[in-house]
Amino acid sequence: MEVRPEPASAEIKHLQRCINDLVSLLALPAIWSGSSPSQIVHTLLDTLTRMLRLDLASVRLKHPVGEAPVEIVRVAQLRGPMPPEHEICEALSHSLGDHSRKWPPLLRSLLGDGDVSIVLLPLGLQGELGVIVAAAEREDFPRQTEALLLNVAANQACIGLQEARLRSQQKRIADQLDQRVAQRTAELAAAEERWRSVFENSAIGVVLTDLNGRFLAANPVYEKMLGYSEKELQKLSFLDVTLEEYLESNRTLVGELLEGKRQQFQIEKQYRRKNGSLIWVRNNVSLVPGTERVPRFLMALSEDITERRRVEEALNKARSELAHVSRVTSLGALTASIAHEVNQPLSGIITNASTCLRMLATDPPQVEGARETARRTIRDGNRMSEVITRLRALFSKKEPTTESVNLNDAVLDVIALSIVELQKNRVMLRPELADDLPLVTGDRVQLQQVILNLLRNGSDAMSTVEDRPRQLVIRTERDEGDRVRLTVQDAGVGFDPQAADRLFDAFYTTKGDGMGIGLSVSRSIVERHHGRLWATLNDGPGAAFSFSIPRTPQGLARADGIRNIDASAVTGPGAA
Amino acid sequence: MESCQERSAIDRLLVSVVDDDGSVRESLPDLLKQFGLAARAFSSAEEFLVSDCVDQTRCLLLDVAMPGMTGPDLQRELIRRRQAIPIIFITADRDMIVRQRLIEQGAVECLFKPFSDTTLLEAIDSALYPK
Repeated sequence: MEVRPEPASAEIKHLQRCINDLVSLLALPAIWSGSSPSQIVHTLLDTLTRMLRLDLASVRLKHPVGEAPVEIVRVAQLRGPMPPEHEICEALSHSLGDHSRKWPPLLRSLLGDGDVSIVLLPLGLQGELGVIVAAAEREDFPRQTEALLLNVAANQACIGLQEARLRSQQKRIADQLDQRVAQRTAELAAAEERWRSVFENSAIGVVLTDLNGRFLAANPVYEKMLGYSEKELQKLSFLDVTLEEYLESNRTLVGELLEGKRQQFQIEKQYRRKNGSLIWVRNNVSLVPGTERVPRFLMALSEDITERRRVEEALNKARSELAHVSRVTSLGALTASIAHEVNQPLSGIITNASTCLRMLATDPPQVEGARETARRTIRDGNRMSEVITRLRALFSKKEPTTESVNLNDAVLDVIALSIVELQKNRVMLRPELADDLPLVTGDRVQLQQVILNLLRNGSDAMSTVEDRPRQLVIRTERDEGDRVRLTVQDAGVGFDPQAADRLFDAFYTTKGDGMGIGLSVSRSIVERHHGRLWATLNDGPGAAFSFSIPRTPQGLARADGIRNIDASAVTGPGAA
Repeated sequence: MESCQERSAIDRLLVSVVDDDGSVRESLPDLLKQFGLAARAFSSAEEFLVSDCVDQTRCLLLDVAMPGMTGPDLQRELIRRRQAIPIIFITADRDMIVRQRLIEQGAVECLFKPFSDTTLLEAIDSALYPK
């Protein structure tokens, strides 16, 4: 029996090695996981060269993702001098052509100094990924098992490369995505930074609250205004820092904002700072509409107006003080006048009535004397009634009326009212009224009060004059500077030139029998008519009191012939 | 017109009234006479000063505000002349400051018009018979 253990065991060994090699090749994709195409190719070439004892191995990859075509070459056991890799590649291309798909699967070719067997294995069904070149000088290359291993290796490489390609594509997309996200993030950060910067560096307070008023954010100006840090504020609501008296109106306004009744509102109110002190602020509040991520919130632009308020208040106080002083001053003068006018006749009434009672109480009663004093009492009572009527006429007018006044007419009316009394006092009145007197603008009744006052002053000044005529002149005339002047000149006792200034204060003014108003009030009336009132001593006995007031601006109308002035006459110079 | 000499002969004390208000000059003397006093009225301070009644006057009822010489002016003039006549001011202006000042300057009293007969009598009493 012929025993041939040797060949059988060699065959078994060969098969065992083949199986081991297959296992190694099948394990390659696991090793390649996560590797790049060139790493895969390198591993593949190393494995094949070692496993099949190749003299030359090369992989040409087409269109690797994101890279130029590559060709990787391993040269192992070629005898003789080694040509450089790129020459081998060129030789391959030269003998095989540029298009690897057209390469024949197996050929013998002269490479370097030797003749080699070359196996070409396409990567991918159509060789779309590239081609593997495996070459050996052995003539039996490739043996059957070697062809099998090469095919398996090519398949495995194809799988690994496709995975790598896919992964590379995914990575590229992921990278692009990451890049876009990073870019967008940077843009957003810049925008946020910009807005934050506006918020932080704003010259006025900026504060954000939720719809309940709880602080969300506050800029440094606002923090400084209130003395709270942003963190402290976030535990509070604006209702906590607003003074009680503004809460209701503030709540109402916010309510209207939330109901859409208004776009925004402005409020001036007081805040209580952290240290308890109060400040005035003006807030512009608006509702900021929400987004998908951010709910609606309130934004207030807050301005500290404490200093401005303080100045305004000081100004108002000064104004009202001034108004009060001037009111009290004129009221004081008026009150003195009224008291004087009322108390004079009242004094006579009471004295006469007292005397009357005493006369009736004597034994026997002094009937005639009592009758006389009772008569005086009635007379003084009537006089007082007249005074009160006049006072009422004077003060019932709250607002002085403004009309065109013919001073001559006004004078004639006053003369008519006082002629009886003047005659009783033996005063001779001589009117000297200018014919072409321009109209003046003002309150007729008030001006008549002044004229009456001057007439009675003049009459009183002459009440003791016995050695000369008690002559009183009332004169109207044009005055320089488009003014009209009225003068009342008496021949009375005159006044002390040194006391000329004091004539117009209350102490001196309140003289005369039941006259309407004093000189101080007269002067204030004249001044209200943009005029002035003054007194001069005559060359002879007596004094003259004059006032001068501007004529009606377009008052070309002549005073004579115009008795009743209506409104149209004021506007038209040709009305006369 | 009666003279001051005649009045003093009857041995009535003379009270003079100086006031520019006619109704006062008319009514006050009658009341003073009912008090048992002699009375004379003058419409101005000047008129009083030139009259022959200054020496006889035991009490002066003097208006404060008058044209020409005022009541206080007359008071100063009388002091200057060493005429120590007790003065009761009468005024229609109810000014407490003025009243205070007049009394400080030596007036016996300052009455605000209108005043009652008893008030006047009390003032004249304290002027004629100082305590």
